[in-house]
Amino acid sequence: MPIDVSVVRKVAALARLRIEPSEEERYARELGGILGFVEQLQALDVAGIEPTSQVTEGARPALRPDEVRACDAREEALAAAPERDGDYFKVPQVV
Amino acid sequence: MSAPVIQESAEALARAVATGDRSATEVTGAFLAQADRTAPQLGTYLHRMAESALRDAEAIDRRRAKGERLGPLAGVPVALKDNICVRGVPTTCGSKILEGYRPPYDAHVVERLRAADAVIVGKTNCDEFAMGSSTENSAYQVTRNPWNLDCVPGGSSGGSAATVAALEAPLSLGSDTGGSVRQPAAFCGVYGLKPTYGAVSRYGLVAFASSLDQIGPFARSARDTALLQSAICGRDSRDTTSRADARPISLDTLERDLTGLRLGVPRAILDEAGEGLAPSIRATFESAISAYERAGASIVDVSLPHARYAIATYYLIAPAEASSNLARYDGVRYGVRRSESDLRGMYEATRGAGFGREVKRRILLGTYALSAGYYDAYYLRAQKVRTLIRKDFLDALALSDALLLPITPTPAFKIAEKSDDPLAMYLSDIFSIPASLAGVPALSFPASFDAAGLPIGLQLVGRPFEEETMLRVARAYENEHDAASRVPAIALADAGGAR
Amino acid sequence: MTKPAMASEAMRAKYEPVIGLEVHAQLKTNTKIFCACATTFGAAPNSQVCPVCLGLPGVLPVLNERAVTFAVMAGLAVGATIHPRSIFARKNYFYPDLPKGYQISQYDRPLCEGGGIEIHAEEVRKRIGLVRIHLEEDAGKSLHPEGKEGVTTTRVDLNRAGVPLIEIVSEPDLRSGVEAYHYLTKLKQILVYLDVCDGNMEEGSLRCDANVSVRPRGQAAFGTRTEIKNLNSFRYVEKAIAYEIDRQIALIESGGSVVQETLLWDSARGVAETLRSKEEAHDYRYFPEPDLLPVDLEAAWVEGLRATLPELPDALRERLVREQGIPEYDAEVLTETRALASYYEEVAARSGQPKLASNWIMTEVNAVRNKTGDSIESFPVRADRLGDLVAMVSNGRVSGKIAKQLFELMLTSPDGPEALVQKHGLLPIEDDAALRALAREVLAANPGPAAEFRAGKEKTFAFLVGQAMKQSRGRAHPEKLQAALRAVLTEEPA
Ligand SMILES: [Mg+2]
Ligand SMILES: [Zn+2]
Repeated sequence: MPIDVSVVRKVAALARLRIEPSEEERYARELGGILGFVEQLQALDVAGIEPTSQVTEGARPALRPDEVRACDAREEALAAAPERDGDYFKVPQVV
Repeated sequence: MSAPVIQESAEALARAVATGDRSATEVTGAFLAQADRTAPQLGTYLHRMAESALRDAEAIDRRRAKGERLGPLAGVPVALKDNICVRGVPTTCGSKILEGYRPPYDAHVVERLRAADAVIVGKTNCDEFAMGSSTENSAYQVTRNPWNLDCVPGGSSGGSAATVAALEAPLSLGSDTGGSVRQPAAFCGVYGLKPTYGAVSRYGLVAFASSLDQIGPFARSARDTALLQSAICGRDSRDTTSRADARPISLDTLERDLTGLRLGVPRAILDEAGEGLAPSIRATFESAISAYERAGASIVDVSLPHARYAIATYYLIAPAEASSNLARYDGVRYGVRRSESDLRGMYEATRGAGFGREVKRRILLGTYALSAGYYDAYYLRAQKVRTLIRKDFLDALALSDALLLPITPTPAFKIAEKSDDPLAMYLSDIFSIPASLAGVPALSFPASFDAAGLPIGLQLVGRPFEEETMLRVARAYENEHDAASRVPAIALADAGGAR
Repeated sequence: MTKPAMASEAMRAKYEPVIGLEVHAQLKTNTKIFCACATTFGAAPNSQVCPVCLGLPGVLPVLNERAVTFAVMAGLAVGATIHPRSIFARKNYFYPDLPKGYQISQYDRPLCEGGGIEIHAEEVRKRIGLVRIHLEEDAGKSLHPEGKEGVTTTRVDLNRAGVPLIEIVSEPDLRSGVEAYHYLTKLKQILVYLDVCDGNMEEGSLRCDANVSVRPRGQAAFGTRTEIKNLNSFRYVEKAIAYEIDRQIALIESGGSVVQETLLWDSARGVAETLRSKEEAHDYRYFPEPDLLPVDLEAAWVEGLRATLPELPDALRERLVREQGIPEYDAEVLTETRALASYYEEVAARSGQPKLASNWIMTEVNAVRNKTGDSIESFPVRADRLGDLVAMVSNGRVSGKIAKQLFELMLTSPDGPEALVQKHGLLPIEDDAALRALAREVLAANPGPAAEFRAGKEKTFAFLVGQAMKQSRGRAHPEKLQAALRAVLTEEPA
């Protein structure tokens, strides 16, 4: 299933991935190969089959009581930020 | 005269430390020394924790001296795959995008290991974000197979498998999404367990594909595997998919013989690998069947009619979930940022430079599979096929107590042999992926060696939360074969490793 | 985009506007929806964050029980169907205030579906249908440079990230900005009655997006719609919708056609500007959230919750009309908040005068509150004192005039009306002798009018009564005063 480089560009944009132009062809080829391989699923009759999005049947619902718990990791967590302005995270302007 | 410390079982070491026959410091020191010697050649670790390990060991010894009762893993060194968070310790998942990142919290399994008085000795190499079958996708280094340094250790938990095989640690943890514990275990000649989905909390395991990821133990015996699994399993309120149904495993039960046990054999699945299935694997599989018959198990023919669709199903579901799970690596709150004048540019540069090819490939694939107009044809359809695959396993496991099948089509392959052909790499997951999609437990155990001296593993699959049965079946085989007790040359100091 | 040519009345008459609203309401929980961080408004930047709401690698969400309870209460209050199973889904998009790169929301399996809200917009009474109510997490706050010279960075505060929201989506049943205003007012009133949302728009507890289209009257098919965002007050919603309706009509009338796009309302300039076109519309790639179990609700639990719901505005309004016999209009005013209604009920009960009590609250009490901005809870004259005052007016103990003086005094004094009457000597004069004495004074002071009356000019009597009342500083008992005055005039010689 051939995939056009324009599709690679579109999907890469959606995923916020910079793909070097020199690499687009290769990704297109590899994606095409995998998508061609998964085409086999189209042959299966899945009418009336429920989808499985997680294997958790029988699990008891686990809700959290609405009680505040202090977090001791905040300082460490904020310290990991590439750029900060005081206690704010800092990012380039949205244009 | 007992074997050198590093050749002893975790069970024996824990007992020795608990009774005071050995100190945790001595035990830890011995394994650290082994790793000092072999890890540089094998590339097993991304980050070693020698200092904190010795500090922890000393603390354990002090507590014993005070007469405190020690936990089930007293003084036993454990290595962790680098996608398991340890507070303040670098956790990169083998990715450049997390270079220098230190989590501000401990994973649930880390808390459990400490509660059991285990000693954490380091973070092992893996394929970037656990995406791969050879550990060649690590952004930092390759890891070599202790049995043949020209071969891969398998992946994605290659470092954790190799470190146990090379006696750098008696136990380790990896994560298994489509076979990432079982396949490297087979390549390295050790035990590797993928627990039932929900048996072990994922809190603190960096997500790859959330509906498939499970943390699992590596060990050199069935009993040690059970020991480690018992220490980490069970309900955790921070992971609502974790289950109380996961109970500690009784070591005594593992000794029960197999009379009356029904072992299901889905022979048809071997043909799925076709030409790709190495004769040595097929031969080991067949001889294991007769071995089990001799051991008193009854062999039941079962079928997994939809297993052949597993790879296609997996390579839609896993990348789709991954494309979402990896969206958080955006250079805003942590990790490595590539600066640009505008936000979008920063995102694209950061992610473009921070992720490796395989990760980008899967993000693209998953994004495509979820995008408008393709969801039903790809992701939703894959989820429906997943239902059929799970039903296959539950049906087969209604007729039998456990299933026996291969885990890899071939023994360990050469480094760089497949790295240029993603699809070929994916196809080698044919035996491991079905159980992952089904969410049932699966165990890879060392069964024999091929002519070249490379380990061959086989796989047992069990009913949900019946890890114990699989380990009992593996233990019976272990009693009759020496595959598990062999040690690679590099692990033996007198052999001078591979120097 | 410049201000569009206004549509003329004639043009407007040809089109029917079609409006649907999406409202996001913050739930009044102590903690966030998926972690134990506090939700206090206005805390220092990134002070209410943890590994979970920061989206650190390896963390997992755990659902807040009360968030589910509050969302179900809202659903029950508007007569929605509460689904026994609903499912969280990931809405994927990149933004710096969205830590995980996806918002955990609900998509094809929402918590509540259907239901509706009765609105009373000017003369129109109508029911606005609801499509759904679902649970989701809020995003953080991005503080943009706002064109400050040289500033090229955005700052991000994640305190709000993970605060529980319900998204309430209406059917396209609204036909004007005014209807939208009344719909929002009513929706807010219901949520505040339920005490699941504080309804505070300034703090962003209620946020609204509007979908607007117009179609030639009589046409069944909808026109192309635009979505207006950033509507952070009910009045802006009303204004923006009116603006957009006119823009679309004028556009069509001038031969153009509406393009599907998302607009941003600029309240300062009173215009809506393009934020993104249909082409740039997001592809959210929704899929079921694998980290959370489905939300399964037992029917018994839901019914138990239904039984504990407080009385809602409509029911309360009808009850006041029925039980107190006050007009619909009064009841509507008095049920603005649950507290005001309770205040009224107490005053009515204590005074035994439902209508008089209503008049006093709607005029005197609300007049003061409009000046001071007091909520009824903080209003200085509590219901017991006002009840006593209303009773004193009704049984003639004091005149309306004195009553107003007493009310003024009560605003600053803790004393009850009777005590104030004593303290300030405002006791009414009822004793006949005293009243006759008063009458004599007045007649002596007004010999002219007195003479005229005696000469048979009846209508000067009213003047004399007025003078006497004035003389008594309004304290004289009206009827008795008249009797005394008449007696003195007739019985006593000039
Ligand atoms: Mg929303
Ligand atoms: Zn939090």
